[in-house]
Amino acid sequence: MKKRNVKFYLAIYFKIISQDIKSKLSYRVDFIISTMGILFTNIAGFITFWIIFKNFDNINDWNYYEILFLYGFSLMALTPTQCLFDNNWNLRDYVYSGDFIKYCFRPIDLYFYYISEIFDLKGIGEFMMGVGIIVYAWINLKYSVTILGILALIVMWIAASLVMAGIMNIAAATCFWMNNSGYVMVTVFKFTEYTKYPIDIFNKGFRIFFSFIIPIAFVTYYPSMVVLNSHNLPILTIIAPIFSVLFFYISYRIWMFGASRYNGTGT
Amino acid sequence: MEIIELINVKREFKILNRREGIAGGIKDLFSRDYRYLSAVDDISLKIKKGEIVGYLGPNGAGKSTTIKMMTGILEPTSGKVLVNGKEPYRNRIENAQDIGVVFGQRSQLWWSLPLKESFKVLKEIYQVSDKDYKDMLDLYMSLIDIKNLWDKPVRQMSLGQRTLSDILAAFLHNPSVVYLDEPTIGLDVSMKSKIQEFIKGLNSQKATTIILTTHDMGDVDALCNRIVIIDKGKKLYDDNIENLHKMFGMYRIMKICFSKDVGELDYDSLKDKAAELEKELQENFSGDDMTVSVDEGWIDILMNEEDVSLMEVMNFIQSKQHIYNIKLEEISTEKVIKKIYEGGTIL
Repeated sequence: MKKRNVKFYLAIYFKIISQDIKSKLSYRVDFIISTMGILFTNIAGFITFWIIFKNFDNINDWNYYEILFLYGFSLMALTPTQCLFDNNWNLRDYVYSGDFIKYCFRPIDLYFYYISEIFDLKGIGEFMMGVGIIVYAWINLKYSVTILGILALIVMWIAASLVMAGIMNIAAATCFWMNNSGYVMVTVFKFTEYTKYPIDIFNKGFRIFFSFIIPIAFVTYYPSMVVLNSHNLPILTIIAPIFSVLFFYISYRIWMFGASRYNGTGT
Repeated sequence: MEIIELINVKREFKILNRREGIAGGIKDLFSRDYRYLSAVDDISLKIKKGEIVGYLGPNGAGKSTTIKMMTGILEPTSGKVLVNGKEPYRNRIENAQDIGVVFGQRSQLWWSLPLKESFKVLKEIYQVSDKDYKDMLDLYMSLIDIKNLWDKPVRQMSLGQRTLSDILAAFLHNPSVVYLDEPTIGLDVSMKSKIQEFIKGLNSQKATTIILTTHDMGDVDALCNRIVIIDKGKKLYDDNIENLHKMFGMYRIMKICFSKDVGELDYDSLKDKAAELEKELQENFSGDDMTVSVDEGWIDILMNEEDVSLMEVMNFIQSKQHIYNIKLEEISTEKVIKKIYEGGTIL
């Protein structure tokens, strides 16, 4: 028996995902409509944002393109949660109905097995839009393009995605303790709207809240500083990669702890 | 060789004593007032390799709890469960490698993947060698026709096809134990017998130990050489089916038809008649075990021949009403089990 290491899990993951994409693409209409749906939602959000900025030249010394950059980064950072961790949204139903038990009998990591079940392709459109916005903002900000800069951005994007996924892990895991946890996820998810704004427009209380309680500042603001404020990096930007790994691990432990507490509702 | 062993296994659940009303609800938030419910109460059991054991009991008897302990997702409060010599809840993943689980109506397969792709993923997960994988598929092909399932995504399958696929998937890595929880629930008769045959075939070829929980006595009669009955967490019966019938050897079912044409009578009037007859019989005969029920136009009288004479009962009924047809039957497994549930006595 081989040891079940990262390679083993990745192999299984790609096997499931590639098959899943193949079968999803066979439902072409469904795929096109839902992708367009997400795109329209984002375009509508973007128009609101644009109208606000037509009326103000800057917010708190942040100019239009800087805010645009945050906006684009936020879209990119939300995508992995949307694509890869979407099954968290169904967790409550599975736990409530007792169906969650069916995930407990495979000889692999329970969290991995559960999360790998669903791959949501729709988020890709959102990601593309995010990339487009960032490129556009980057050009207009007249920053130079360096390999190091792009690498730093990719590292920060991964860190941001991990924090976002971690937040949703914890929000979803509340269903192991409470019956009515649906609103927890919805509320927490609504907070992610605020990731699109620079954190210093909020007062101190909110700043602390968004940095350390529900750390959405780590989803966009601090990671983006690696580009927007590269000459004077905030300390929280520097620790963001380590913080994100740690935070995701903690969220995983909480999720698994909840699952171990759980024991079906019988049949 | 024992494959599963339960040694004085107990499992309790802590339940909050709830109060009434809103004020009570608020108090409950801070309450430490618990009571303890024994879901499984001192059960010992030994199951050998290759056995098919029917694990039966009414709803809430503790079946699921026992299965959860055997599959490693629940720890006993006291006592010990051993599967292949190890305690499953100490190492869920290691235990999971060597078991298969099927729930009648909860498919564990990937919804959008065709069956063959699901199998390939399972092959990876359980690290089945190419040769073992091929051998198992060959065995499947020899037992059942699965060609029409092969390329079908699970979501497009009928319930019967889905259940069959789940059973195929559960045996794929050749586990030493397979737990089947209501495998034939909601299936039509032909699919049921197809699945029963298939399970029997696998069991005889691979000597897989099978634990079957079900309410369908058809499954039990077709598959199990041994049954264990539990109720309220206690073991009521543990032996083979023949002995179970012998316990109730003196019980007979007399089936009576009052009409030439069975389809002529409607269910409601028959039911009234049965109730009336039961009352009369109980007044006139000493046996308190006599029950009367309706079965598709026939009236079934269950009686214990140690208490009452069959002929006397027949004469009694005939003196009141003309009997068109009469049949005598051995008590069915279903009726035996029902009596055990109702009686609650330990045999």
